[in-house]
Order: sequence, then structure tokens, then C-alpha cells
Amino acid sequence: MRNELSRDRGLDHHYRLGKDTKCSAHMKKICRHAIVLALITYGLTAWGNDHLDAGKAVVEKLHASLLQAMMEADALGFSGRLEILEPVLSETFDFATISRIVTGKYWKSLDEEERSGFIDVFVDLSAATYASNFDGYSGEVFETLGVEERRGNLLVKTAIVKPDGERVTLDYLLRDVDGVWRIVNVIADGVSDLSLKRADYTAVIKSEGFDSLVSKLHGKIEDYGAVSR
Amino acid sequence: MQESRIALLTALVVAVGLVAGCASTPNGDPGDPYEATNRKVYNFNDSLDRNIMQPVARGYVKVTPKGARTGVTNFFGNVGYIDTVANDLLQGKGGQFLRDTGRFVINSSLGLGGLFDVAKEVGLKANDEDLGQTFGVWGAGEGAYLTIPFWGPSSFRDAPGIFTSALLRPTFYLMPIVSLPLGAVNAINSRANLLEATNIRDQAALDPYTFVREAYRQQREYKIHDGNPPGDGFDDYVEGEGDAAILKIF
Repeated sequence: MRNELSRDRGLDHHYRLGKDTKCSAHMKKICRHAIVLALITYGLTAWGNDHLDAGKAVVEKLHASLLQAMMEADALGFSGRLEILEPVLSETFDFATISRIVTGKYWKSLDEEERSGFIDVFVDLSAATYASNFDGYSGEVFETLGVEERRGNLLVKTAIVKPDGERVTLDYLLRDVDGVWRIVNVIADGVSDLSLKRADYTAVIKSEGFDSLVSKLHGKIEDYGAVSR
Repeated sequence: MQESRIALLTALVVAVGLVAGCASTPNGDPGDPYEATNRKVYNFNDSLDRNIMQPVARGYVKVTPKGARTGVTNFFGNVGYIDTVANDLLQGKGGQFLRDTGRFVINSSLGLGGLFDVAKEVGLKANDEDLGQTFGVWGAGEGAYLTIPFWGPSSFRDAPGIFTSALLRPTFYLMPIVSLPLGAVNAINSRANLLEATNIRDQAALDPYTFVREAYRQQREYKIHDGNPPGDGFDDYVEGEGDAAILKIF
């Protein structure tokens, strides 16, 4: 419709200018270019917002489940919180990539069974950690502060704000896994969970071996279960 | 008396340097050449912490209401704030220098000697600067990582700041009969404020020494860049090639 209108205006213009058809063609060209440009820009912005929004939605989904675990902490108990959180974590985190990174250069030397075994333990450990730490509610609010693109990945910036104003910033790094945004790192007040775990885990592999790492992680999962209500 | 305290601090820093210099391990983390010594000091600090500081800090939390602890934290934060103000200037942060000076003056007066953080209410939030951060801003690398006896994680870049921030505390120049109890209260209160962090360490860490070293380094980077470390500061996450290259996230 808009295209037709501008074409009409172009015709008007053409009549008014008499025989100067060169100018009219020029105008049409400009119009067409403007429309194409507008469409491209609109398309790009829409795509841009879509993928930023999709990343934000992943983090907000995680936060919603954490908030639920916190608010219903006592009724759910540790195992109930685990039940709520584990599927959400599996959906929102890219545990395969995380596992590769936290085992550093040793990943290459692991066989298929060791790798999938490690990923399973790591998923359990993450769920137990969240279920243990998010065990009560005292008015905390999760705020999403913004989303940035970083070399093809997304950085979703958020904060947990306590009622007394104390805040912990949580930045989530997400990567595109087959068209779905998934979390690969959580950076709490500047401390990257991925780097921390990689340093810690590779130190254990180096001094005691991979099997010892796995059995220590099993131990941690049990500890979380034992100390949590 | 002041001289003797300065001498003690100097001796501590020099001693650490000497001990560190004697014991380098070739095959560890390149930023931690004194790991063997550092680990020994870490274990020493840790047993001291578990046997004395932690129980005392927990007792303190039990008997002191939260409001009082906040007051104590505010007070010592304000006493130590001259360090931040001085380093604002050294880092060329003019606006921040003026705001932090205002903050110190307001909290020292209207905030009753720093007990109340009145400045925050008028929009002058606390900043955190020290000499190690200034060196970082000036472009210095971390230098070798250090674990300092009775203190904790530090580095060649950050250790001199322990010395200067002590000198910039007005309480350092008080009579020992006042400054020593004050120092004790500060130590206990500071330890209490860290209980949550060390709980996380105890729950999550497999090798607490490595965990603390990594967390310390990252937090220092974060502070040097005032909360916005450059992308590459988050590490290239993969040591390898081929399809692993996709894992280079930052």
C-alpha cells in the first residue's frame, strides 16, 4: 500500500515536472531504496531483539524456579527443591560444554563413558548446590538489568537484591546450542563460576587423578543433602 | 610506638618476600611460583581461623544485633576510607575523589564518627580502592600470588597496599590501649562479615587453596576495573584446538 502511494506521488511529481522523466525515475529509485532499507533495518532490529529476549527469558525462567524454591523452601524440603530445580537446570544450562571447560585439558584424555558420567555427576552437583543454597526467602528480588551480545554469545546481567538494599550481581553467559540459548557461566560479583571450578577441578585431577575428582564430587552432593533442611 | 608498629609491618612484608623467595616450585600455576610455601601458610592461617577466629566470629554474631554489627562495619569502613580517597586521586578519578571526600566528611560528622552511613542516603555510595588496585590501573600485572601469615590471599602487586592502608587509618596513631582493642573488634567483625563467603568455600571447594586463589584473582580484576573487567579477563576457556575452538567464549 505504502509502495503504491509513493509510486502515485512519483507520478504526480512526474506530471508536474513535465518531461523530466529522468528525475522521476531517480525519485522512484530513492523511494524503493528507502523502503528496502527500512524493511532490512526493521528485520534486523526485530531479529536482534528476538535473540536478546530469548536469552533473557532463559535466565528469567531459572530465576523464577529459584524464587519458587526459596518461597516454598520449608514445605518442599531439600528433596522437593531438588525435584523442582533439576529439570529447569537441565533445560537452561549447557552442561556438556561446562563439563568440557571445567575439566580443562584433561577432557581430551577421558573416554565416552567417563565424559557422560562426569556430566551426570555435574548436573546432580549443580542441582544440589542450588537446592542447598536457595533454602529460604526473606524478600529477595531478582532484577534483570540488561542483555549484551559478546562475540556471538549473550551476557545477561542481573542482580539479587535483598530488602536492605544489599545486592549481588549475577551475570549469565549464554551460548547458542543448536538454536537454543543456554547458560555456560554464572559470574557472581565478578567471580566466574566456570573459572573457579576449572581451577579447583583441574588441581584435583592433576594431583589425585580423574577418579578422585568424581568421587569427591559425589561426596559434595551427599554433604549438601546432609546439611540441608 | 608508631615506629615500632611500622617496623613490625615492614618486617612482616619483608619476611613474606624472603620466605617466598626461598621456595619456588617450577611446574605449577605460572602466576603462583611460591605455591609450596603459600600452601603451608594457607594451612597455618586456616587452622588459626577454624580454631580461633571462626568460633569467636560466630559467637560475636550470636550476641550482637545486626544493627550494631552494621554500625561497627560502617565505623571501620569510614576509618579506612582515607585509603580509598587517596587512591581515587592516584588513579586520576577526579569526580570520584570529590564524592568520596564528601562521603568521608559527611559520615565522620553527621554519621557520628562513621557509625551511620548517611552519605549513602544522599547518593554518595561507597567505593573500594586501594594501592594494589591503583598499581593495577597503572598497568601492573598481579605479580606472584602470595598467602600472607595472619592475613590471607595477596600478591606482589597487592601486598604493599596492606602496609599503606594501615598507615592511612587514623586509629593506627592512637594509644595502643585504644588502638589494640579497636583492631580486635575490627578483625572479629570483618571475619563475621566473611562467614557466608567461607561457608560457600567450605561447601564448594575441593581444593580450598586453589579455590581461594582463583576467587581472589578474579575479584581483584573485577575491582581494578570497577566492576567492568574487559571481556578477555574472563579467560579463554579452552586449552586446545580443533572443535574446542568454539568453546573460546570470551
